[in-house]
Amino acid sequence: MLNRRTFLGTAAAGIAASSLPFRAHAATPLTMQAAWINDAEFAGYFLAMDQGYYTEAGLNLEYLSGGPDVIPESTIIAGRADLALTTPDTTIKAIVEQGAPFKIIGAQYQKNPIGIVSLAKNPINTPQDLIGKTLAVPPVNVISVEAMLKMNGIEPGQVNIVPYAYDPTPLVKGEIDASLDFTTNVPFTIQQAGEEATSFLLYDFGYTIYNDTVVVTEQVLAEKRDLLVAWLRASRKGWEENLADPSVWPPKFADTYFKGTGRSIENELYFNAAQKPLMESPEGYFALTEDGIEKCLSALGEVGIVGNTDMFDTSLLAEV
Amino acid sequence: MAAERRFAGLRNTLILLLLWEIIGQLGLVAGGALPPPSDILIRLWQDRGDYPGHILATLQASVAGFVIGNVVAVAAGVLFALSPPMLRLFRGINIAAFALPPIAIAPILALTLSGMAPRVTLAALGVYFVTMTATVIGIAQADSRAEDVVRAYGGSRWKVLRLVQFRGAVPSILAGLRVAAPNAVLGAILAEFGGGGRWGLGTYLLGSLGRGEPDRLWGIGLIATLIAGLSYAGFALLSRRLLGATKAVTLNAAVPTGKDDGGPLWARIGMALATVALPFVLWWALIKLSGAPAMIAKTPGDVFTYLFLAPSAETAQAKLLAALAQTLPITFIGMVAGLAFAFALAILSKLSPRFISGFMPVALITQTMPLVALTPLLVLILGRGTSLTLWITISVTFFPAFVTLAQGLALVPRSAEDLPRAYGASRWTELRMVTIPASLPYLFAATRLTVPRALLGVMIAEWLATGRGLGNLLNQSRGYLDYGMIWSVAAVSVILSVVFYQ
Repeated sequence: MLNRRTFLGTAAAGIAASSLPFRAHAATPLTMQAAWINDAEFAGYFLAMDQGYYTEAGLNLEYLSGGPDVIPESTIIAGRADLALTTPDTTIKAIVEQGAPFKIIGAQYQKNPIGIVSLAKNPINTPQDLIGKTLAVPPVNVISVEAMLKMNGIEPGQVNIVPYAYDPTPLVKGEIDASLDFTTNVPFTIQQAGEEATSFLLYDFGYTIYNDTVVVTEQVLAEKRDLLVAWLRASRKGWEENLADPSVWPPKFADTYFKGTGRSIENELYFNAAQKPLMESPEGYFALTEDGIEKCLSALGEVGIVGNTDMFDTSLLAEV
Repeated sequence: MAAERRFAGLRNTLILLLLWEIIGQLGLVAGGALPPPSDILIRLWQDRGDYPGHILATLQASVAGFVIGNVVAVAAGVLFALSPPMLRLFRGINIAAFALPPIAIAPILALTLSGMAPRVTLAALGVYFVTMTATVIGIAQADSRAEDVVRAYGGSRWKVLRLVQFRGAVPSILAGLRVAAPNAVLGAILAEFGGGGRWGLGTYLLGSLGRGEPDRLWGIGLIATLIAGLSYAGFALLSRRLLGATKAVTLNAAVPTGKDDGGPLWARIGMALATVALPFVLWWALIKLSGAPAMIAKTPGDVFTYLFLAPSAETAQAKLLAALAQTLPITFIGMVAGLAFAFALAILSKLSPRFISGFMPVALITQTMPLVALTPLLVLILGRGTSLTLWITISVTFFPAFVTLAQGLALVPRSAEDLPRAYGASRWTELRMVTIPASLPYLFAATRLTVPRALLGVMIAEWLATGRGLGNLLNQSRGYLDYGMIWSVAAVSVILSVVFYQ
């Protein structure tokens, strides 16, 4: 959908490019692979695209949505995208075990939004409450849950883990006691179904990792460093504006980025407000602080994924 | 008589819908997780703004896949019909195309291809086998007298093909296209679900799943069913227009075989080896052609190394064997259950055609409704144990088996049925003495059809509900970026399906 703002933005960039034919980085293509289908998790990028911040920064950004069969890391290995939003556990595991040439250059979520969601009438407030209960976990996240359980002295066998097939109905109906999902999202759905939800973050019980880490290959980092810095700058601007008041932007994307996703704008508003505290950092959005990296690595170390600080490159953020 | 039958079918369907409405309104099933039809329709109307974009995307992918798949299938069919050795050589590939479980292939396609390509490929894979088989059979059944006439007047091999064989094959090909069309739609939707595009019914389904609103999910299923049904009806109409006649749904249970013309032993062994090797060569060639990097795209050699030679081979083998030990027993039980259900239905269709004509629309919905949309409901009704796996397996296996068996039963000579009747035998005795023995050959054909689908059903249940076996291993491996395991599971599930089929 082309609205007036992006149209003007594109037109302005076009004029700029034609009047300055030798400006090499005018609208250089760059492709990003997101981690999931369009929802508020990516609102900051949508805002920056909508407002032409990437174009202003000289980028012609192509945005690829994700999905259950899309492994974001695969897309950058295959060269179909320059950067990807990933979960740091899989990324660092791939670097350690398969020698994958990845560098983490930023982190969208300072605290991983993944947590254990349950109904208030059958509340699960701590890992200990999970003992003897049935917990639905997407197969790709079992690694994270088992890590958190281990850190809290619980054997995986003490919790009945079943697959989570994207639909919260079994939780609402009491077929399962809890599910693992984004705490920024599912509680809203549960409220819609007429129940109260309660949740806790894996982060608050020792599994202190980032999420939606910004990952590039070493080759892209070497060849497109300036573009990546420009992307970080424009994306940060988008997130700052989006989260300044989380209720402003999601409705504006109702006919563009959020059209026909099957989700409601109210849901995106809830999501947007809930994610703000998980993204904020004194050093700005996408921050990779010494403390944050240390926490991430030590939590992963507990489950046998032994990474090191070389896997992170904080120098791009320093230039932003 | 025909009008009466049609009326009875309509009436039974209406009764079923009414029952469904009452059950849904009262929330009798799974605490109200089964919505009444009226809610589904209201919801469809409310969501009407969302649908056009998704339907358009699904149609684009399925039409492209349908065209590509069928062009390849007809060309291959002609080649195989003209050259039995080629047919024998490609037998391995043909069986693999028939047996490969789409849920194991979808992640592989998402890894190696981009954009619309995975959707188009999965849609094309869904149509290839049906049309190829229909072409081979159609050409083989051409009128040999007409062929002789063309030859007698000095017509070349090509003329015979063009004037007689290909024309004679048109009804069969059209029947194939009819069955193939819904397959293309379902293939496209499955790839959309996983592949991370912006539009498509599969994408819409994924976004809607997280909302816990069954009426929306059923609405999407209904639209998918409608598209699949319309594409089927469209080709039925086309063949009626062109040929003035239409046939019932038919399925070819058998992969056509080139007749073995004897020859020296070494030649036959060589052919057998080549048949087995060709699918692997094709796999290897596709990887090389796609240019996907070695870390994510594994060749047969890479998978062998991963499973047998690499330092981690022992762990990988142990994981795979443990998963197989969970998946295989239930696959066999599910296959038997699916066949038994299909057999019971086929017998029932003989005894009470009216019941079946009311049941068929429901049966067709179970074939086109995306299972992922039904899983929450099934989990609530059946739990996450063996019974759920069995029901999912039955639901994906019974339909082709039922069609094959019903076809077989319909072919029982009337005179054979009249004999016991003339001697005053009861309906049941007649069934026991004549109909069931006569349908046994079709039972074997149905069994072959059922095995690969049973494996598919079990893997779906494992993926969505039980968290065991191969289906779960496939998904967990994605979380570990364990590409070797992803490819191994896909390869093992295809090889198993082929071996069972044999």
